Amino acid sequence: MTRSARASSPSSRPAMKATPLSNCERRFLLRAIEERKRLDGRQCYDYRNVRVSFGADRGCCIVELGKTRVLAQVSCELVPPKLNRPTEGILFFNLELSPMAAPGFEPGRQTELLVKLNRLIERCLRNSKCIDTESLCVVAGEKVWQIRLDLHLLNHDGNIIDAASIAGIVALCHFRRPDVSVQGEEVTVFTPEERDPVPLSIHHMPICVSFAFFQQGTYLVVDPSEREERVMDGLLVIAMNKHREICTIQSSGGIMLVKDQVLRCSKITAVKVAEITELIQKALENDRKVRKEGGKFGFAESIPNQKITTFKMESAAVDTNNVEEQAEEIITKADPPSEVFAKPILHTPGTAQIGEGIENSWGDLEESEREEAVEEEGESEATAFEVQKMETEDTSTLREAEKDEPIVLSDSEEEEVIILEPQELPTKARPQANLKQENTSKKAFNKRRRKKRAVR
Amino acid sequence: MAGEKEKVVAAAGGCCLRPFSCEQGLLSRPDGSAAFLQGDTSVLAGLYGPAEVKGSKELPDRAVLEVLLRPKVGLPGVIERSREQLLRQTCEAVVLGVLHPRTAITLVLQVLSDAGSLLSCCINAACMGLLDAGLPLSSLFCGVTCALDPNGAIILDPTTRQEQEARAILTFAIDSPERKVLMTTTKGSCSVEEGPCFPP
Amino acid sequence: MATAFKMVEPLEYYRRFLKENCRPDGRELGEFRATTVNIGSITTADGSALVKLGNTTVVCGVKAELAAPAVDSANKGYIVPNVELPSLCSTKFRSGPPGEEAQAASQFIADVIENSQIIAKEDLCIANGKLAWVLYCDIICLDYDGNILDASAFALLAALKNVQLPSVTINEETGLSEVNLKQKNPLVIRKHPVATSFAIFDDTLLIVDPTAEEEDLASGTVTVVTDEEGRLCSVHKPGGSPLTGDKLQDCITRAITRHKEVKKLIDKVIKSIKPK
Repeated sequence: MTRSARASSPSSRPAMKATPLSNCERRFLLRAIEERKRLDGRQCYDYRNVRVSFGADRGCCIVELGKTRVLAQVSCELVPPKLNRPTEGILFFNLELSPMAAPGFEPGRQTELLVKLNRLIERCLRNSKCIDTESLCVVAGEKVWQIRLDLHLLNHDGNIIDAASIAGIVALCHFRRPDVSVQGEEVTVFTPEERDPVPLSIHHMPICVSFAFFQQGTYLVVDPSEREERVMDGLLVIAMNKHREICTIQSSGGIMLVKDQVLRCSKITAVKVAEITELIQKALENDRKVRKEGGKFGFAESIPNQKITTFKMESAAVDTNNVEEQAEEIITKADPPSEVFAKPILHTPGTAQIGEGIENSWGDLEESEREEAVEEEGESEATAFEVQKMETEDTSTLREAEKDEPIVLSDSEEEEVIILEPQELPTKARPQANLKQENTSKKAFNKRRRKKRAVR
Repeated sequence: MAGEKEKVVAAAGGCCLRPFSCEQGLLSRPDGSAAFLQGDTSVLAGLYGPAEVKGSKELPDRAVLEVLLRPKVGLPGVIERSREQLLRQTCEAVVLGVLHPRTAITLVLQVLSDAGSLLSCCINAACMGLLDAGLPLSSLFCGVTCALDPNGAIILDPTTRQEQEARAILTFAIDSPERKVLMTTTKGSCSVEEGPCFPP
Repeated sequence: MATAFKMVEPLEYYRRFLKENCRPDGRELGEFRATTVNIGSITTADGSALVKLGNTTVVCGVKAELAAPAVDSANKGYIVPNVELPSLCSTKFRSGPPGEEAQAASQFIADVIENSQIIAKEDLCIANGKLAWVLYCDIICLDYDGNILDASAFALLAALKNVQLPSVTINEETGLSEVNLKQKNPLVIRKHPVATSFAIFDDTLLIVDPTAEEEDLASGTVTVVTDEEGRLCSVHKPGGSPLTGDKLQDCITRAITRHKEVKKLIDKVIKSIKPK
């Protein structure tokens, strides 16, 4: 638990700009659409393949819509309810456009696109009242479940909203929350081992279907790809459940649509939603069966077998018998810890120092501090100074001799003396201060002299 | 067959890696991508670059490497940031960034599921992602997590439960040519003798 | 001449020194800078310490507050460390939200506290499930000259040793807590973790206690944290050049020696302010 959990400012991150679409590419795409052809070979009303795979955790799934990929994870937490709705659970939806999905996406930035998509997800999943929030209440006004749905776009190849809405509803259907019991004021949360977790109560499954319009609404394409989204004039999103009830409808891009077009779109939506719902239910049923039978599940099972870029290894035993011997060998080979260590020097009560290397360049300040301290309780340290004074003499003579050279490397084994900036000592100032200054330099000197302990 | 496997496991002193698998090039947009799975732990890596750098981060002599670690639930916090640093410096030691000065390489790691040994799975996913992007590398690397159980026995590639029970957890990144240690980080305390247990 | 050389070819400049087993600031490869500690530097904090490692200066203040313990660990208090690297300590940092280095350092300190069990969190609990101490450990760098992790870990330890908590009792009739400011008790410090950092030069040379300059030029860093029993609380090597097991063992050996020195220092300081 650390307090600096704020994300660093997004503007400081380098970001690559999305490559702009060239004019001829744009013209080519539009011409193809006019000829009722699409780049990936689909017909105008064709939906890309939908693939749903479940993770090992409950409430986790990846939905692939062609090459667009969305990861969904549902989690829950016990929280106090909102004041105006004491008997309702809280729903929280969040779609993230991961920088992995496309080079133009920046982490943590609220772009217009992101806000629009999040708003649509809210309208599709919350405002359609597909989740029974009252069943999430544990103690009215005290504790309710907060259900959090995190959606991550992993690869952007157009039509994010459809993929996200499918992933969202699949994850919510797949999720199980821990069972709870209330006795008086005591709330007990059961672990999955104690009691089977319970599914959320979901009334219906709203699914979004997107339509892209070109040339002021003359041409229409279902499930636009990323390229098609770039050249489209307007977008119509219809969220519907399998009972043919429209949950939300949104037209954006500022195109005028005639009534017939909207009706036609809603008919297409009904067909697509029926197909997708069936697929989702089949996928959920499959997963349920596998889990019940104790078979293998999780993302590892969804990796294709016959593909050149995939690789699988069965669980492999690793021989670790010789590890301890190896470690021992390394330890015995290494030098044992040195027993030489510094004597701490007490400056004043509460301030002490050990040092081996250089003094810091704050030396001046230190000395004045020490002077004050000494004036306060001179006697206690007086004896220590006397001892040190004897040693200072040879130091200062050495120092004078080497004044001209900034760096001296002594050849002698015992004393590797390196003196930097020997001019720092004004030799004959006040006797009292002088004593202390020499004392400091002596200390530094003494440390340098200590046995070499280089780690090589 | 199963009995034989158990024998192998027993001979190895109970050390066993979970089954692992990897898929490369599974995303269409990034320049390199890889999913790495160790048991039920899985991480997806997507990589862009070398590409243009925006702003002041540009380096005149080498490429800027940026690693982003996205948790599955919520926003990235301090733990993610510190792991990003570990992963970035590990990759920096291996990527020959001097061949692409004044560019940026962005590696995004998305946690798909965490069932123990997450950091080592991130390391492996990062390496496979770098490979898939075809970036010049000086060597390959792999990540291994070891746990010391209360009896002092070594468990390789621990699950979440084993991690919770363990006295110490050590994660290493090891390079391919000489099996030197690229990165280590530890959790819990252990004696010096138990420390440098370098798996083969 | 030397300064020009240093500016143009900083790495080569360092290599010349390292070849002779010394560093431009006069230290040998295995030498620490002078370590100064002052405890009780901040009078308003419940415990504080200032640590200087050469020019690197770090101050740690511990503030104790009362709070209800978490539901799942009713008998435990909290320790909340935070490392701040404000823009005043180096030109490297900008003001604003904490950068990656500060967050990584915070996490490192949090890991050290957790791994070493420096304080048993149960000691911070006053009444089971009702009241516990929260120790906010703010570590602020005043001068950044490398090796921030060692300085921070030491400052934290020294500050925690300095903490005096007032005794708190719960009045059984009213159920309210009563704080007795006159009776103060020190914290029980179970372990004394000490960090030792190394910089790796040219993939092979290890130098102890790197300065900011050395950190920039180095190809990697290693930080080893040990406690008084010589157990490893953390071996933190965030990437960088690869090392062999033997080299890591050398680091651990050096860290154990360093621990003894620092332990002596902290004992002496604590003894010096104890009322006779």
